[in-house]
Parts: sequence; C-alpha cells; structure tokens
Amino acid sequence: MVEQAGYFRVPGAHLYTVLHRVEAPVARVLLVGPFASERHNSYIPWVRWARYLAARQIEVLRYDHRGIGESTGIFEQATFSDWSEDLTLLAEWFKDQFPDVPVLFHGLEFGAILAGRLFHQGKGDGLLLWSAPANANQVLRSTLMRWARLEQLLLKGGDERKSAADYIRQLEQGGVVEVEGYEWSSSLWHASFGLELPAGLADMAAVTSGPSKPVRIVELGKAAAPLVKGGTPGFDELRDFDWLYSENMNWLSAELASLKGMASDRHS
Amino acid sequence: MIDTANLRQLISLDGNGTTFQGTYHRVPDERDSSQAEVNVKSSLGIFFLNSLTLPRAATGDSAIYWADSFANCGYPSFRFDLPGLGDTEGELSLDFLDFINSGGFSSIIALKVTELTRRYNLSGVVLVGHCAGAVSAIYAAASSEHCAGLVLLDPYFHLKQAVRPWIREQISTWARRSSLGRFSSKIYDLAGDLWLSAKGNSVPRNANFPLLKSWKQVADAGLPILLLKAPSLKASGVKPRQGEFDYLSYIASMAARKGRVTVTAIEGTDHSFANRVGRLAIRQHTENWLQTHFPQAISGEPTLNSSHRTEDTTTISEANSMTSIPVDQTGGGN
Repeated sequence: MVEQAGYFRVPGAHLYTVLHRVEAPVARVLLVGPFASERHNSYIPWVRWARYLAARQIEVLRYDHRGIGESTGIFEQATFSDWSEDLTLLAEWFKDQFPDVPVLFHGLEFGAILAGRLFHQGKGDGLLLWSAPANANQVLRSTLMRWARLEQLLLKGGDERKSAADYIRQLEQGGVVEVEGYEWSSSLWHASFGLELPAGLADMAAVTSGPSKPVRIVELGKAAAPLVKGGTPGFDELRDFDWLYSENMNWLSAELASLKGMASDRHS
Repeated sequence: MIDTANLRQLISLDGNGTTFQGTYHRVPDERDSSQAEVNVKSSLGIFFLNSLTLPRAATGDSAIYWADSFANCGYPSFRFDLPGLGDTEGELSLDFLDFINSGGFSSIIALKVTELTRRYNLSGVVLVGHCAGAVSAIYAAASSEHCAGLVLLDPYFHLKQAVRPWIREQISTWARRSSLGRFSSKIYDLAGDLWLSAKGNSVPRNANFPLLKSWKQVADAGLPILLLKAPSLKASGVKPRQGEFDYLSYIASMAARKGRVTVTAIEGTDHSFANRVGRLAIRQHTENWLQTHFPQAISGEPTLNSSHRTEDTTTISEANSMTSIPVDQTGGGN
C-alpha cells in the first residue's frame, strides 16, 4: 500500500493530506479528524484505522484542518465556515477522482459534526460517526475541562491555577485562552454554539427515519481513548484497537455489499 | 518525488529499509529553487525528533513554529516521525517507554542522520528532542558522527513508570487540593531532602545509567549542548523539587572538564513549552545558541509575528492546486 502525503490547495491555506492508495478500491473513505490538540492525541489510532481500511481495499484520504498540524493557515484566523468549506472542497475532489466508487465520510468528534453536516447536504454515499457531539461548543468545553485539569498538574499552583469555569468566563467576556498551544478567541467560542450536528443524526433512532444511505453512529467509551478524551499519554496510544476497527469494518462491509446489490439491481 | 511548496516540502528518507516521513523547512535562499536538495551549501541542519508518542508537529504545533524560525535564520530544518509514530509506518509495543529509555531508536536515528546529511549536503545536524525525544537524541548523538550538537528540552535521566499507580495518583490529587494535603506534601518533600542528604546525594537507584553513560560520552567529546528546562512542580529555575535528586547539577558536573553544556531555565511555561511564552523562549535561546556555536549567514528575515504560523500566502508556491493533487501528492522519496 502506498501512502502519499501532499498539500491540497484551498482558498487561504494548503491542507495536509495523506492518501492511502489501493488498487481497485471497493470504496473510498474520507476521514475527518478531531479538533486542534485532539488531532495530536488521537493521531496514532486514527492513522492505524486508515491503514486498517486500506489493507481491506478501501482507499482512505485523511487530512489536517487548516491552521492545525501540518496544514498551513493561521489557527487564530480560521473559522468554522473555513473548516466546513475546506471539507466540502476536499470531498468534491475526492469524489471526482473515481465517481463510480462509493465515498463514505467518517468523522471523529469535531470531524463528526463537519462530516455529518456535509452528508446532510446530500453529499457522500454513507456516513460513519464516532463520538459525535451535538455542537462544536461541546468539543471546546470538554477540551477545556481536560486542559484545566492537566494544567493543574503541570503548573506550580497558587494564582496561576484556573478552573475550566474561569476560562469559560474569560472566553464569554471577550478574552483569549491558550489551550495546549492553540489560542482560542472569544469569537471562536461564541461561534461554536452555532455549528451543530444535524438533528437527524443525533443518534441511530433519529437516523432510521432519515436518509436511506448507510449511516452508523457510535458513541466511543473510555476504552477508545485517546480517540476520545482521557487516558494516559504514552500508553493508551499503543493499545490494540482491533476490536473497534473490526466492528466498524464489519458494518462497512455489509453496507458496501448492500450498496453493490442495489447498483446491480438498477443496471439489470 | 517531492512537492513544490516554497517554504515546506514533504519528504521521505527511505534508506536502510525504513522510510521516515517528514517535513523539510527550507532556508530563504532556497525557497525558489526546485532542486533544494543539492543547494543547501554545506550548512548545518536541524533534525527534530518526536516527543514520546506525539506526531512531528508536537504540542500546539510548536515544532513547526521552531522549524520555520530556524529555517528563516538560515538553518535548514527537518521534522521526522520515528517508526510507528505520526505518518511513519512501524510497530510500537506496549513497552515503548522502556524501548526509548534503553536507546531503542538510537541506531535508526543515527542512520537517518547520515542519510540526511548526504542527501542534503549538510555539514552535520543538531538533534532537537523534547522529553523522551531528548533521551533518544542523547543516545543517537553518542552513536552518530554527523551529530554536531544537541538541543534538549526537559530531558529526564531516570527510569519512570508510564502509568502512575492509581493509589499514588489519588494521593497526589489530595495533596494538591486540600490544605492538609499540601501540608503533608511539604513534610514529604522535607523528608525526601533529609533522605537525600543522608545518602550523600548519591545517584538514585532508578537512574538511567546507560543514558548517563551516553551523556558523558557526548559531553566529554565537547559536543555543544543546549539544555532548556521548564519549571518543575513546586520548584523554580533549573532546580528540582525539594527532596528530589538534582540530575542537572549531576550531569553538568559530569561534563565539567571538556563540556560545552548550557543549561537554561524557561519560566512561565510548562513541560510542553507550547504556550506563547515557552515557544518564543525556546526559539530565542536556540537561535542565539546556534549563532554562537554554528554561525551561519542569516539570509532570511526572522519571524517576528506573534502567531506561531507564517502567513500562508507567502509560504506556498502557486504550483499546487486543487486539481493537481494527483501529481503533487508526495511522500514517495525524492
């Protein structure tokens, strides 16, 4: 399998992409990853998932959001609209490469909101969501809470210590908070309430009355750390996630077989 | 094939049966060249290593900020993912920390340093490592003839457990949060101090002796070393917490005769050095140190903006476009 890293040009930035290329793919999956520092924490199991899929004839494209990781652009200037539009452009390009091969979106945490919204607009042939929050503010809030706890361990104490509530107050009052090296602005905080997961994708019960395309929504537990927040750095990344991968691969295989069957029926 | 980005290029080092994926930060003079690999004019390169399991961007993408800055000062900079980390393929085992602490990455890093210096016509490299990456850097420097210097961010010289026992974690939490706990913590520190004195400040049993041996080897050889230290919990400057063994004094004394070791404390930051204070201090101290030990013509303008990223419009060539990804997608060696 070939892993091709490159830059994908979007207005105002170049997105870092890695294409896990396979011969004659049965499907293609666009991975939409988590937000800011969570990208770093979840990187190893996220990349391994891409390789797991590629080893099973599913071509994968993963990327970094603008201003984060290897992508260019300035994080402090990026907006939720930018991140949404970047995904739209990337998804269009990805689909155009092989229009006959189904493209599924797979979003994790913040990426699940972006992927869900794009899917809700009619894009993509299927959707897989891991730990999809109701809105982006939940992403920021949970990251902030974890960061405040971590900061209490790292800083000397006394006046330097602040609680998550202190930081939230700071953001709500127009201040800037630096979270694991990323500067969060007040406008980012306020805008995060508006980036919502479509109601029809809130859970599997909501989905059954929705689109006929394959959709799977999975709430990851603590056992999936660091794909979700928590766990021990330097330890949890190394664990075997085959239980998670195989379970989702089984669903994917079944849905792809179903899609193939429907396509055959249409042709005959 | 590598892509045509002006400031950064995605590169692979595929010699010796292991392919490292990484990013090359070009110096200003080379940003318009399509053949940067042969044009770096025998300069010194900067080689960044992963910090534990983090991808090569590091916490808050601070390694990208530093690499951009050093390249702007005329030092071609390279960030690579070690096997199993980031985008580089490879297996990681559950005893990963033991693997690092015993110098498991040293031989492959040394090989890749050689490969890089040949490919880019470098006079040598300075290895930059943070925490576990600093441990790997020390081991690799001891086994590489092309390593010209070390920049170590918060290295550790003892063997520690990756996972703190649950009961110890609970005690620590209690000691931080309650007044009785904080008082008990002070007593604990004092007892530790007394215990250390009683033992004559001898090296603790859980010291990483092979690492100290490698340290002595590189320090005795006169390798310039910059050691940057974030304040420890309940400590200031380069001193450890009361009751803990002072490894920095110990290693400084080991290197006293021939060593060119500079130890600097960075205040206002934490172990990650990822906040604005930390990343700026690391950048300034390292640039000054590089100019002192490895003076090189500075052909670029220093990055003075407060943001950790360079404006995209000035960094990436227009050669890449949305539709050109199939030909510009990179990562397949040179």
